[in-house]
Amino acid sequence: MTSKRRRFVALVAVVAALALVVTGCASKTDTGGTDGGATEATVVKIGIGAPLTQGAVALGKGMERGANLAVSQANEDAAVKDLGITFETVSGDDQGDPKTGVTVANQFVSDSKLVGVMGHLNSGVSIPASKVYNQSSVVMVSPASTNPSLTQNGLDNVFRVCTIDSVQGPSGADSAFKDLGFTSAFVVDDSTPYGTGLADEFAKQFAADGGKVVGREKTGDKDSDFNALVTKIKSLNPAVVYYGGIYNSGALLSKQLSDAGVTAPLMGGDGLYDGEYVKLAGDAAAEGDFCTSVGYPIDQLPKGADFKAAFEAAYPGEAIAAYDAYSYDAANVIIEAVKKVAADLGAAKVTTLEGKKAIIAAVAATNMEGVTGAVAFDANGDTTNKVITLYTVKAGAWTAYVK
Amino acid sequence: MSGDVIVQQLVNGITLGGLYALIALGYTLVYGIMLMINFAHSEMFMAGGYVGLFVLKALTNEAWVGAGAVGFFTGSTIGLIVLFVIVFLAAAILVGILGVVIERFAYRPLRHAPRLAPLISAIGVSIFLQNAVLLWVDSKALPFPAVMPVVTVVKVGGVTVNSLQILILVTTLLLLAFLDTFVSKTRIGKAMRATSQDREAAGLMGIDINQVIGLAFFIGPALGGIAGVFHGMYYGSVKFDMGFLPGMKSFTAAVIGGIGNLRGAMLGGFVLGILESLAAGFLSAGYKDVVAFAILILVLIFRPGGLLGESVVEKV
Repeated sequence: MTSKRRRFVALVAVVAALALVVTGCASKTDTGGTDGGATEATVVKIGIGAPLTQGAVALGKGMERGANLAVSQANEDAAVKDLGITFETVSGDDQGDPKTGVTVANQFVSDSKLVGVMGHLNSGVSIPASKVYNQSSVVMVSPASTNPSLTQNGLDNVFRVCTIDSVQGPSGADSAFKDLGFTSAFVVDDSTPYGTGLADEFAKQFAADGGKVVGREKTGDKDSDFNALVTKIKSLNPAVVYYGGIYNSGALLSKQLSDAGVTAPLMGGDGLYDGEYVKLAGDAAAEGDFCTSVGYPIDQLPKGADFKAAFEAAYPGEAIAAYDAYSYDAANVIIEAVKKVAADLGAAKVTTLEGKKAIIAAVAATNMEGVTGAVAFDANGDTTNKVITLYTVKAGAWTAYVK
Repeated sequence: MSGDVIVQQLVNGITLGGLYALIALGYTLVYGIMLMINFAHSEMFMAGGYVGLFVLKALTNEAWVGAGAVGFFTGSTIGLIVLFVIVFLAAAILVGILGVVIERFAYRPLRHAPRLAPLISAIGVSIFLQNAVLLWVDSKALPFPAVMPVVTVVKVGGVTVNSLQILILVTTLLLLAFLDTFVSKTRIGKAMRATSQDREAAGLMGIDINQVIGLAFFIGPALGGIAGVFHGMYYGSVKFDMGFLPGMKSFTAAVIGGIGNLRGAMLGGFVLGILESLAAGFLSAGYKDVVAFAILILVLIFRPGGLLGESVVEKV
């Protein structure tokens, strides 16, 4: 081979590599659409913004499942067919990264048929993305972002169906101090808006309850080595270690604590509430760890059984993750609003600016019975359903804690 | 702050440093011969973790190797030793071959190009490999089965050292000793040193340059692969982007020690690991990266060639 050709081969290899990255980042899947048919139904798109390839993928995939389930059920609904609309979902992979999240948000709003977004997962992603949606009057309903500041920026299009950290953190602290009898805690977070917010709220309430916060540390959300921190924790001997963050790193921290012989359990928020946590930490290390998550356990809710049955029919063999049900409810909030606007203004006007603004108003006035309980929003756009459940790892799985 | 805690932090730091050192050797070996930073090296580390995981899973899967073999591998001490020797050899050899293949297709065509070109190519390879694993294997972190029991070997006061920490340290030191002897004592080692001093002249003296470079690209990635398996065992999981941070740190370690210098890479790895652990333990966990990179800046200001950068004439 001549050196020119060699260079060409190398160039091709590099281009191929880059092309793979680009497609990897921006993979979009359109699902849920019906094949046109005889009736010319107006296509209304709902965006799903979630981490699908990087970050908390197990939770992000669950969001996608929940929203797709809601949309496919809506498309079967005779009332929706009568209105002359058909729903489609568009998945955007935000990779749990704020910058990628804004890119996804811009892709969403550039599609005029897209009227609402079910997402995002990470508060750090939801906050910047919400501003993009606001400029285009696209409604955003997050099933999972719990940082309080998300709904406090004066944006009228931002809603969430999950409880916020200023409810979840203190609830965790009350459980730790009052129910579980832990008198001292070492508080760690992963330096993300979600983790820091949750850990701060926990520490504040734990101290107010009369507990002692023996240490407060920050780590990175991609860190894998916590041994130095573990040694420090061991020397301070707290009754519980509180971790504000996602299961990926939280599980590694739990494993390293256990390896070093620290017997204090790890406790965290809804970011830990996934089976992956137990797999990564190992059964022995995870056993007895705690986490709080928003709402009641699914099987304790009136509509839970229906949801479970529908879920199992649609996704055989898959387990319901922390946000499947919330995403299902969040998507239904948007679907109900679209139905109302389509009835009031006509299907053709749903995807106009007037229609999008009407959808925001309709979402604000939501009052429905969801899988996760009653769904309604306060003036900020936060859910009025403020229930928190404490879970513990028992025999290798998260189960609702019973005293 | 009690003495126990300081000693325990040193133990943590030495273990972490051992991992950094193993990876840093790969950076420094390739730089010594090619004067090129192989940015795809962090992915060799990642690949090692995955190869280790798959081989370990295959050999402990009764459907694949039979119940008898699994019983032997997991039931006795000798079996465990044999099992992990196979796992490490497989990771080293397969990742080594991957390194050679990458050199052949991504770097060799650019050998006479400006120095920036192979660097960009290396970054491309790194992104390619990460995304290949992301798309074809899994985007989730995969748990690394805890087949090898980790037992506490030393327990003095509050200080504990476990078998895995000792294994990491001993393996790292043995591999460095082996590599050092190989490069300074053997004929092919001499050829490597000659190539690193002047590639053209070495070629004119009858040294097969491609063979020497190929060897550097086998040994470096093989060591990275071994570090990847250790990482999986020590932290209990592997993930497609697991190479990024350790790769960055190990590159820093190689520069601190004097890039191109084998013992320097080792020293840099341990210095960095220990300082990081002390910083995390006594300042705050949030400051450990700040300290690591502050040390890099200080070393670059006061000893631009690195701590052991004096022997720059013999770059391997």
